[in-house]
Amino acid sequence: MMTQQEFIEILKSRGAVFAAPQPIGKTNIINVNLQKIRAATLPNFVIELYKICGGIKLGNGYIFGPSEFGKPGKHPVPNIFQLNNELTNLTKLRGKTVFGKNDLFWFTFDSFGNCTMLDNLGLNVLRKYDDPYRAMLDCLIGGKI
Amino acid sequence: MQLTQAAAEKRLNDLKISDLPIMSIQPKITPVDRDWYQKYCGICREFMRSLSDSVQELAMMNLDRDEFMNLLMGREIPDNLSIRFRIPLIWGGKLEVENLFMCFTFPQSQNIDRFIIEQSGNETIWLPNPVKKIYMPIHSTISGNGGNAVSDRLSQMAANIASNRRAP
Repeated sequence: MMTQQEFIEILKSRGAVFAAPQPIGKTNIINVNLQKIRAATLPNFVIELYKICGGIKLGNGYIFGPSEFGKPGKHPVPNIFQLNNELTNLTKLRGKTVFGKNDLFWFTFDSFGNCTMLDNLGLNVLRKYDDPYRAMLDCLIGGKI
Repeated sequence: MQLTQAAAEKRLNDLKISDLPIMSIQPKITPVDRDWYQKYCGICREFMRSLSDSVQELAMMNLDRDEFMNLLMGREIPDNLSIRFRIPLIWGGKLEVENLFMCFTFPQSQNIDRFIIEQSGNETIWLPNPVKKIYMPIHSTISGNGGNAVSDRLSQMAANIASNRRAP
């Protein structure tokens, strides 16, 4: 299993962009809102990640944060609740929360914190992960064409 | 639920991409090569380099000079832009520049994902098929300084308009 520090080091070496961390209160609000739409609440690895950054971008790979982020003058990357709130009609996502995406795949966690890679055509499960940091890494590196 | 063309266009309207042309396909699962991802990366770079014929659209995308040059050199795709397949590989699409188009990631590409996913399992799937290599919604709300690409383009357009006005 990869540690959070190893994960961050790998991303830094590849030129990932980290959004500023947000107050813990934001994470709590996100959790309440995710519960309201019956999506999975944030597992520990995401809560720990949000303590050091409010989202990550590498090429076209994104890990959504508790707040919108992005460059001024560009459409912002939505926060994790905004993104999932628009997906409540997709039955294949019941009980899951999309935490990341790139141009080809979406990445979700369930209420136990188990991560999966889905295709962006029919949300079919392509891969299940034991290591959440490996899932986030695949999501981001897949965005670097 | 199978969508008619009218229903598909209505859904696109709900997703605020009503001006996006669509085509229908009967998806048949097609095996892809083991090295498809390497080829995909190469084709994406080739597609980026081919965009030198789409400067007019690029000029409206609020790219700074570095983003513009990196894109046309096939080095890096700018922030918030996505390259998409017209027909996905797994449904028989080819790994060719002609099978790709570019659009904003948020919200357009994200909404295109939703549009396709919502049709999952249907016999006929409606897919976006923009006329040009770059899809920009008519009512794009992106604005900003834009860098030299925009100012040069706008200067050129202004000069053209002025010369047309002077013509008898």
